[in-house]
Amino acid sequence: MRLGLLIVGAVAAMGQQRNFVSCPIVRDTKTVPCFLAEYDGELYYLGIQQDITSDFHPPQLKHEVLVEGRVVPGPRVCGGIPLQPLSISVTKEINLACNTLLPAEPGMDAPSAPRGAGPSSLRRVEGDSAREPLTGRHEFTVLYAFNDDYLEYAGNTVVNEAAAYAKRIGASSVKVAGYRATTLLSNGDRLVEKAGLAEKRAQNITTILRGLGIAHLMVEWKNDAEPGDGQTDPSRRRVTILVTP
Amino acid sequence: MRRLLSIFFLIFAVALILSAQYQDRFKITWIEPGSGATLPEFDAFDSVDGTLGVLNASGPVNTQGHPFFTPLGTNGRACVNCHQPTYAMSVSTTGLLERWRLTDGKDPVFAAFDGSNCPGLPQDQEKTHSLLLKRGLFRIPLPWPPQNPDGSPKPVEFTIEVVRDPTGCNTSREYGLKSADPTISVYRRPRPAANLKYVISGGQPIVLKTGTLADVDPETGNPVSMNLMTDAREPSLKTQAISAIMGHEGAHEAPSRQQIEKIVEFESQVYVAQAAHIFGGPLAVAGGPPALGPAALRDRRAGVLGDNDYDPVFGLFNAWKGTDYYRASVARGSDIFMYRQFWLRDAAHINSIGLGNPIKRTCATCHNAQMTGQDLSAGWVDVGTTNYPTWTEPATWAESSELPVFKITCARDADPHPYLGRVIYTTDPGRALISGRCVDVGSIVMQQLRGLSARAPYFANGSAKTLREVVDFYDRRFDMKLTDDEKEDLINFLEVL
Repeated sequence: MRLGLLIVGAVAAMGQQRNFVSCPIVRDTKTVPCFLAEYDGELYYLGIQQDITSDFHPPQLKHEVLVEGRVVPGPRVCGGIPLQPLSISVTKEINLACNTLLPAEPGMDAPSAPRGAGPSSLRRVEGDSAREPLTGRHEFTVLYAFNDDYLEYAGNTVVNEAAAYAKRIGASSVKVAGYRATTLLSNGDRLVEKAGLAEKRAQNITTILRGLGIAHLMVEWKNDAEPGDGQTDPSRRRVTILVTP
Repeated sequence: MRRLLSIFFLIFAVALILSAQYQDRFKITWIEPGSGATLPEFDAFDSVDGTLGVLNASGPVNTQGHPFFTPLGTNGRACVNCHQPTYAMSVSTTGLLERWRLTDGKDPVFAAFDGSNCPGLPQDQEKTHSLLLKRGLFRIPLPWPPQNPDGSPKPVEFTIEVVRDPTGCNTSREYGLKSADPTISVYRRPRPAANLKYVISGGQPIVLKTGTLADVDPETGNPVSMNLMTDAREPSLKTQAISAIMGHEGAHEAPSRQQIEKIVEFESQVYVAQAAHIFGGPLAVAGGPPALGPAALRDRRAGVLGDNDYDPVFGLFNAWKGTDYYRASVARGSDIFMYRQFWLRDAAHINSIGLGNPIKRTCATCHNAQMTGQDLSAGWVDVGTTNYPTWTEPATWAESSELPVFKITCARDADPHPYLGRVIYTTDPGRALISGRCVDVGSIVMQQLRGLSARAPYFANGSAKTLREVVDFYDRRFDMKLTDDEKEDLINFLEVL
């Protein structure tokens, strides 16, 4: 009973947060396709097709997707209510029912995109001179999709940055810590990441850092899943890399 | 009318080549191990569509005693047996059939170990070499389970069963899965041992597709491209050469360091590309498309992403967008390659790495490395050539299919293949036979697209006899809805590479 009240309270606090699992929908447009998902009779806009370097990694037909995002007030995009910030997790198991591909419709346009569906027109810019160089003790965080230990492009970049920093300062220790987490869905259900995932995430990152030439590595992981609050759950599916001078 | 005339002339030219020139040419251009010939700095060989150019960038090569051209093992083979300059440093079925005829099947290229369908079969018959003679496939015996470099077994996420075994090798008590040394035999085309600076470039510490460490060159410790070979099982040209000598050449002793270095030195300076076309004329000319011909491959920088509209994969073909029928068709073909959008769908290691499924893109999305059209990152992809039901074999049961069929059953706690699940039927598990991972079943490392006219058949399993069959496969697989004209343009484009 007490647990039930807690869940009801947490769900109420979620307000404009939408956390759900459903089939993605792909809508063609004159430019790049939009990715959408339906929940509780409403259509939500997730994002558009871009490059692997983009912050948004679209879902996949043939797979359900865990959507965790906050409703953005304002006009619909591609027919759906936009969510931001947004986390997308593609489930591993196949669901052949997830197969909706909609044709382009007049008036249903994708937001402007840095890259169209053809080859890129963007010229690569090397380096990021605007960033302040790191100093002192610093913690890097690698985020994961739900139930996944795949190091996405963004995480790949973080690990490389952590390794470069540790080398630059001659780190006395590099501590890797892995976690798994819980997601509180909008319907009150809780999804818990599989056992052993925290260790797997931590070990993978440690192996990579070792391969990148990092010494003084320590690794740990927390077997218990982090609790879910329905608001910040994606931030707890993580590995932290604490680099100490 | 003009197209009819073109077709007529094409048929006439091909017939002429086949009937007259080929008979003499093969006697001259097939390099036998130990023949002692000197390769010129630039050589030209007739191909079906014109002329293949072979460029030795460091000058003429004396093959006398050269380890690439000298048998180093026990079966009389050298590297050159399967990497012939006249076939773009690979080998074609046309050449193999002619070789069988000329030597009555005694040429070392037909060695029992991997030139026949299985070593235990009678070796004096064409039918026991059918996969090599019909599809250009050599047997690749791989240990099961896969092994680490030190010989210890790797963890494996799936079991493998032999469902169909036309060659008898996978069920053989001596050579098969249940032999004393459990082995899976798959059958694959030899890749061109040329333009290799492009193939080995682009190594990154972390493999984008797996999120794990890349293999490293055991000599330098540097990450490698993982684009060598069909399954990326060898990290460097040196380890590949040693493996080939110990396996394909049947050596009992490892080659010397000097021999390996000389082989790699030769491979690293040879460039192949189409040099002229029967309708297109000389290809590498001033003011023309900049990436054609072998000298361009020598001169350009490797490791450059070409999936862009300002410096595309094979350069700009604007100079050919004129009135010449064939050249204009090639230019249109280049545009199709770069710009013709379609739904790229259910391709593991493309759609499954964060791009989304499906994505609306073009050929150049995957074939993105400048000059070769490989993938600039580690390039194994399950485009569907080996896995049922999209495989290149007949859609329904057919006696004519001579490839083995395996049933892969993935463990419940393993990530399944993203689009085929946990039970997969395949003619070649590809990268999965090296990684042991379910998600890799059927993934094959992309090949370079140069010198194509000289080295049919295509795909790693030799299933496409012509470039038309290659284009038809992609058209079916991705529902591209290419028109006949578009297919012709695309084929013409591929022919001049």
